[in-house]
Parts: sequence; C-alpha cells; structure tokens
Amino acid sequence: MSFFLLRRTGGLVLTLLAISIVVFAVMNVLPGDPALTILGIDATDDARAALRVQLGLDDPAPVRYVQWIAGIARGDFGTSYSFGVPVAGLIAERLPLTLSLALSGTLLTLVIALAAGLYSASRHGRTGDWAVMILSQLGIAIPAFWLAILLVLLFAVNLRWFPPGGFPGWSDPLGSLRSLVLPTIALAAVQGAVLARVTRSSALEVMRLDFVRTARATGLSPARVLWRHVLPNALVPVITIVGMQFAGVVTGTIVIENVFYLPGLGRLIFQSIANRDIITVQALVLMVAAVVVLANFAVDVAYALIDPRLKARLA
Amino acid sequence: MRRFPVNLVLGAALAGSVTLVALLSFIWTPYDHAAIAVTNKFASPSFAHWLGTDQLGRDVVSQLMVAARNSMIVAFVSVVLGGGIGIVLGVYASARGGWVENLIMRVSDLSLAFPALLFAIMLAAVFGPSLQNTVIAIAFINIPIFARISRGAANQVWTREFMLAGQAAGMGRMTLTFDHVMPNIAAAIIVQATIEFAVALLAEAALSYLGLGAQPPAPSWGRMLSDAQTLLYLAPQLAIYPGLCIVISVLGFGLLGDSIRDLSDPRLRRER
Amino acid sequence: MLDVSNLSVRFGDAYALRDASLTVHPGDRIGVVGESGSGKSMLAQALMGMVPESASMSGILKIDGTEMTRATEAQWRALRARRVAMIFQEPLAALNPLRRVGTTVMEPLRTHLGLSRTQARARTLDLFEEVGLPDPEQRLAAYPHELSGGQRQRVLIALALACDPKLLIADEPTTALDAEVAQRITDLLVRLSRDRAMALMIISHDLQVVARATRQLLVMYGGDIVERGETRKILSAPFHPYTRGLLAARPRPQLARPVPGTKRPRLPTIPGHIPALVDLPAGCRFSGRCPAELSRCRTTRSTEFRTGTGLAACHLLNPAERSKS
Ligand SMILES: Nc1ncnc2c1ncn2[C@@H]1O[C@H](COP(=O)(O)OP(=O)(O)OP(=O)(O)O)[C@@H](O)[C@H]1O
Ligand SMILES: [Mg+2]
Repeated sequence: MSFFLLRRTGGLVLTLLAISIVVFAVMNVLPGDPALTILGIDATDDARAALRVQLGLDDPAPVRYVQWIAGIARGDFGTSYSFGVPVAGLIAERLPLTLSLALSGTLLTLVIALAAGLYSASRHGRTGDWAVMILSQLGIAIPAFWLAILLVLLFAVNLRWFPPGGFPGWSDPLGSLRSLVLPTIALAAVQGAVLARVTRSSALEVMRLDFVRTARATGLSPARVLWRHVLPNALVPVITIVGMQFAGVVTGTIVIENVFYLPGLGRLIFQSIANRDIITVQALVLMVAAVVVLANFAVDVAYALIDPRLKARLA
Repeated sequence: MRRFPVNLVLGAALAGSVTLVALLSFIWTPYDHAAIAVTNKFASPSFAHWLGTDQLGRDVVSQLMVAARNSMIVAFVSVVLGGGIGIVLGVYASARGGWVENLIMRVSDLSLAFPALLFAIMLAAVFGPSLQNTVIAIAFINIPIFARISRGAANQVWTREFMLAGQAAGMGRMTLTFDHVMPNIAAAIIVQATIEFAVALLAEAALSYLGLGAQPPAPSWGRMLSDAQTLLYLAPQLAIYPGLCIVISVLGFGLLGDSIRDLSDPRLRRER
Repeated sequence: MLDVSNLSVRFGDAYALRDASLTVHPGDRIGVVGESGSGKSMLAQALMGMVPESASMSGILKIDGTEMTRATEAQWRALRARRVAMIFQEPLAALNPLRRVGTTVMEPLRTHLGLSRTQARARTLDLFEEVGLPDPEQRLAAYPHELSGGQRQRVLIALALACDPKLLIADEPTTALDAEVAQRITDLLVRLSRDRAMALMIISHDLQVVARATRQLLVMYGGDIVERGETRKILSAPFHPYTRGLLAARPRPQLARPVPGTKRPRLPTIPGHIPALVDLPAGCRFSGRCPAELSRCRTTRSTEFRTGTGLAACHLLNPAERSKS
C-alpha cells in the first residue's frame, strides 16, 4: 500500500511539473507579445519596452519559468497586473465560493446519479427505466449554461424564489445559500445525467453476479440487496467516471459562476482575460489543471480503499 | 431478436435536419441575418418573422440558421484537425511500440488535464478571444481522445494473423499500417468522430456563450444566449430558441454516434 | 414440511420443470441427479421462490402447510433462510467480495432475528465453529478472497444455517472444489443434517457425492423426474433407461478416485445429445435417445410405476405393455 502511494505520488509530482511547463509554454513562449496585448496597438514602442522590463520579460524563458515555479513553491503566484495585488490573495479570497459550488455540485451529482441509476436498474426494462434513460439522454445534450438560464427564467424571473445571480457575501449565510441553490442544480443536473447511466449499467452488471443471488436467498429485502450489496460493488466504475468527469465539474463551475455572476475563481479568470492579466490567468489555469490531476489521484487512492482485493494486491 | 432502432432513426433525423438547415443557410435565409431594423425590435412570431425578432430587430430564424452553419463548421474543422493528428499519433504509437508508444500515451494522458475551456482560456488570454482559438482549443482536446482510440484499435489489428504474415513477407510497418491497419480501424474512428462532433458542438456553444468564441457580428447559438440572458425580463423567448437548437443538434449527433457504435460492433458498446 | 405436487416452471411453452411431485420430511437427505439442463437447478429455485422473472410457476408447493405457488415476493422473503436455505456452486462468486465474511453471516441474524451486534457476533462464531472453520475469531474479519475454496463454502453453509432452516438445498456444492475438500464438505452437510434434523437436498453431477451423502434419489431429465427411490438401490439397480444410461456413462471407480488437487470429472455422458428445451418430445422426454423406446413414448407421458427399487415414469413398466410383448 505504502509503495503504491509512493509511486503514485511520484507520478503525481511529475505530472504537475509537466502541466506547469505546458501552461507556461502556451502563455509565454507562443508568438505573442504580452506587452502588446496589455497596452494595445496604440502604445509606443518605448512604453512596451518599459513594460517588458517591468514584467521581467527580457529574461530568457527557462529562467522565467524557474523563477515562476520557485515563487509558487513559496506560495507566491506573482502580482496581478490589473488588480495590483498578489495573485495568491485574489485566489484565497475567491476560493471558498468556488469550492463550495464544486462540492455541493458534486454531492448533488452523486445523489442524482445514484438514486436515478439504481432506480433505473431495479426497474430494468420497465417504464421507470425508460423514463430515466430518456431524461438522462436529454440531460447529456443540454448545455449546463442553458439549463442555468432556464432555471433563472423559471425560479428567479417568474417565481422569484431565488435571486437571478450575484452573491451577498458569506456574512449573510442564508442569502449565500439561497444564491447557491440554482447554480448547484444547474451544475449537478447535467453531470448527474451522465453519471446516472454509468451507475445504471454498472448496477445491472453487478445484479447478475452470484452473490446477489445469495443475498436474495438469504431473504434480504430488495432495497437492502440494492443498497448494501449491489451499490458498493457498482461504485467502482462510478468513481472512475467521477474522477474522469472532474474536469467537467471544474469547467462547469467556471461556466456556471459566469452565468450567475458569482465572484469565484471562474469569474476571476474571465475578468483577468478581459483585463489582459496574463500572470493571474496563468496561475489560475495551473491551479485548475492541478485540481483535475489531483482528483484523478484521489480516485486511484479511493479504489484501494473501497476494494479490499485491490488493497491486498497493493500491499 | 432485433428491436426497431429508435435511437438510430431519431438521431439520423435530428442530425440530418440540422445539417440540411445549415447547408440551406448558404443559399437562402428568410432575411439577411445581420440586417438591423430597430423600429421592429422584439417582434413576436408572425408570418413575416417566424420566431420574431431580437433586440435590434434582426430576424431570429435567419440568425439561428447562420449560427447552425457556424457551429457545424467549427465542430467539423476541429474534429477533423484534432482527430487527424490524434489518429496519426495513435497509429504511429501502435506501429512503433516500445518507448515511443509509451511516451505518446503518457503525453496524451497528460493533456486530459486540460479541458477545452481551459485551453481556450489560455489562448484567449494571450491572443484575445477569437473563432480560431475555439477551433484550436476543441481540436486540441480531440487529439488524445483519437490517439487513444486509434492506438487501441490498431493494437488489435496488429495481433491478427495477416499482419504477422505481412511482416514475415518483409513488408515494412508503415506499409502495413496504410494497407491493413487504417482500413480496419476506420469504422471505430468514424463512430468516435460522430460522437466527438456532438461534444464539439456543445463545447463551441459554451465557449461562444462565454465570449471566447465567434465574435460579433458572426451569430452563434452560445452568444445569442448570452445576449438573451441580459433581456430575460423583456424577451424571455429569445433565451429558448438557441438552447433548443443546441439540444437538438447535440442530441442528434450523439444518438447517431451511439447507435452506429452499438449496431456496428457490440464489443465497443459502453455507456457514455 | 415440504409438499410438492405437479409443480411446473415454464418459459412460454417450454417446460424447464414439468409436473414435479415430492415430499420432504425433516431429516430427509435427497439427491438430485441428471444431465446438464435437466432442470435440477430450476427445481431448487422453485423451492426457494426464485425462478427467473420470465418464468411462470404452476402446481402446488406447500411449505409447512402454506401454499406458495402464487405467493408474493414478500411472502417468500419471510420463508427464505428461515425455512428453506440454499448454497451455490461457486463459493467465491457467491460471496460479496467487498464484505468481511463475518458481516455477511451476521446480516440475516440481525435483520431476520433482530439480534444485537454482540449477539449476532457470538452466534456467528458458534456457526463458524459448527461448520468447522478454523480460527473463527480471525475468520470473522476475513474477506472472501482471503479464504480457500473449502473455507468459502463453509462460510456459505454457515450463512445458510444462520436462521435454522428446515431444508437446506445445496446446488452442486462441491463442483468447484478439489476432490478431497469436496468429500469433507459433503460429510459436513450430512453431519449438519443429522445434528439439526434438517432436511438436505444435494444437487450434483457427481454420483459419488450423492451416493455418499443421500438416502433418497431423484433422477431428472428434460424437466421431468424420471425415477426415484432409495439412493443405494437405484445406483445398484437402476430401472429407467435414462438412469441406466447415466450410470453406464459414469467414469470407472479407479479413474474417479480422488486425486488431491484435481477437480472431479464433470459430466457423465450418454450417447446422443440433449435437445433444446423447446424441441423436447411431448411424451417421454427421453424418447429419441432411448434404446428401449416404444411407439407411444414420443407422444404420451407415462405415469409413475413401481420398480423393485422405487418409482419410475416409463411405459416399459406398464402391465398393459408388458402383457403385449
Ligand atoms: N432464464 C431462462 N430463460 C429460459 N430458459 C431457461 C432460463 N433459465 C434456465 N432455463 C432453461 O431451463 C432448463 C433447466 O435449467 P437448469 O439450470 O435447471 O439445469 P440444470 O439441471 O441445473 O443444469 P446444470 O447441471 O448445467 O446446472 C435449461 O434447459 C435452461 O436452458
Ligand atoms: Mg444447475
């Protein structure tokens, strides 16, 4: 187990380094002049040259990369061009909102997927199964941002139950929760639809296995067989997909924050793009990519925890 | 006992009609999609304007038609571009084997950490938002997907007897790749391409909604939605039509791809 | 305690079990033999109320006097484990791989008998002891993959015994085990049946297992019970042409002597092959393969007649036929 963790962690560090190189390369080495992007074509050559010096752009790229990484290792992501404050501070300020949204979204996704998937599997071939499958097929084709707009139209514009967007700040906990309801639903419905199909087919496969027959022969109720015996065994493929989908959750969060004008990292990225704030974008992109990789790492470890057979093999 | 292929027929019908409308927009739209008529803004659906007009009095149907064409071009170009590169890499990896194969597959694993949105964000930050960036970003995420699929399929072909026979007859690995591997993996790739086309349509819509894609005045479903979002109280109907178009086209190509896969090779069957 | 008459299980027009009748008393030890597809497992499933959903059941099946043919799933659930319990062929597959075996055995004790955690644990230890699992304390926390094949089958037996069933059905309990272990499991089942005055039904391809463990025998073919009687007598003097074929095709004793580490030889074979369920002749299922076939065999089914050793459903036994020839 510990050897497995060690090897996996080594791979993780390498992957993170490789990602940072890709991010740095795309944003610094590709033909493109940040000074030009920032100042626009109207700026004089002198002004651009001065900005380049200020940004340290005159050093060779490898040097700048090493400086960047060394800074990050110290918790220093550089200083935002447009806000004039440390990027780390900007991130820290907005992270709680993004994390809450991503977490609540993932939770609701799991609830939807497990409930719908198991229900569908237990009604295999009957009306309930068909209904869930049709809904989930639709869910896969619906863009999350459009669903979000529809939710706003219904629950904010027409029914006025929830605010159409914006965020009152954590000092108003109830208001904060209220403004996270629609974003969470929008985020989870689509992901949940994808995951419900995985859950269903995985559960159907498990239900064919012998130990389910044993559980039935033991006189256990169908609900108990489903939740205690089928579900845990069906969970392994579901978790794989959750890990693979985590990229989707993260990008979904970025999109949804923009639909609801929520001041999280996703908004920050777009503000920074509009401000031509490359340093900030670079830091955020690295962070998001790192989160995706970390999620996959977590899934690998979670496998070993769920499945004792795997644990034994890794020991 | 073969059931009537509902998904195939429905998928083909939806995808077919979207494609037809997109093609039609090259030669005919009810109005010039960009023609502004401020006096006639927010018109309700009528015989003249089937779905009414928008905040600038532009005809909604004409805009939707041109947007369909734009979306499909973006999706097509990016899937062909990314798919092309991915297939070459995958087939090459399979033919070479060893560390080359390992390296290519490792790198393609790595790029899974970059969703299309993230890539588009990087490009937009450096070059400013544009349609080309959208194409590049979507093409980019298709590279590892196709590399993976074609390597997997190619590896299977390499285990077949006629490949051994070919090698024994002294044929080069590249010759064998062109003569035998490519024709044998074509079906799997076409199926994947159909599915990825649907995914690309969805990605294009999201990117243009976020302002990273097609820039005005080129109409796109995503941008029409972000415009409509600011007008929800005035003209909620404008937020419905473009979304429906996205759903119909994504559903159409998605169903089509899935059901062709199920029909052509049950072994590839896998829930999405 | 179990009273079955004219029990049938059908998939559309195809009978997987046709008009089976039998009575089981406490302490009975019954063997069921027959070729693959003869309906042995279907009989067992019917007794558990676990036939596939696509199948329809008819006839009379009384458990402790209650008619169960049309019982609901909930009614069946109340009887499973408490009246009739069952163990299966592949002990590894039959155990939930993600659960400690102790948890698995404790589950029915807690849900059905309402025992507390500690009570259920103590009871499970007793059960493990009873089925001869070494180091029961440690076994509680083991996962199925950590046990040997024989130990897994013992866990399954402990699970089946948890709620004191009156009838234990073992569907090929030893096929997946090597010969020596198979013998010990068989002996364990016999001992349990004696100690608990529990009826035992062993389904097997292996005539040695049946000979060793059971006193009565049912011979099945094509969904019919074709011959029945005392195990020892039928094995030494079979009457029905099918039973004779089955015994003739049995591997020689010296070939079948258990060799440690090997699986037992599986299927005895009779010349000709078993038709698909829908293609079975309407009369005697064995007609077409039978060496002693009469003209009416194909179309009419014989009732059961006395043989020297028990009963057999064969026209050859009909006094009218005999007087003709
Ligand atoms: N779900 C089903 N649908 C249709 N036919 C079935 C189904 N399950 C079983 N059968 C048929 O019922 C018949 C009896 O099967 P059963 O499993 O009882 O045989 P068996 O005697 O236990 O054979 P084996 O020794 O191989 O276990 C077989 O012909 C089988 O094909
Ligand atoms: Mg069987």
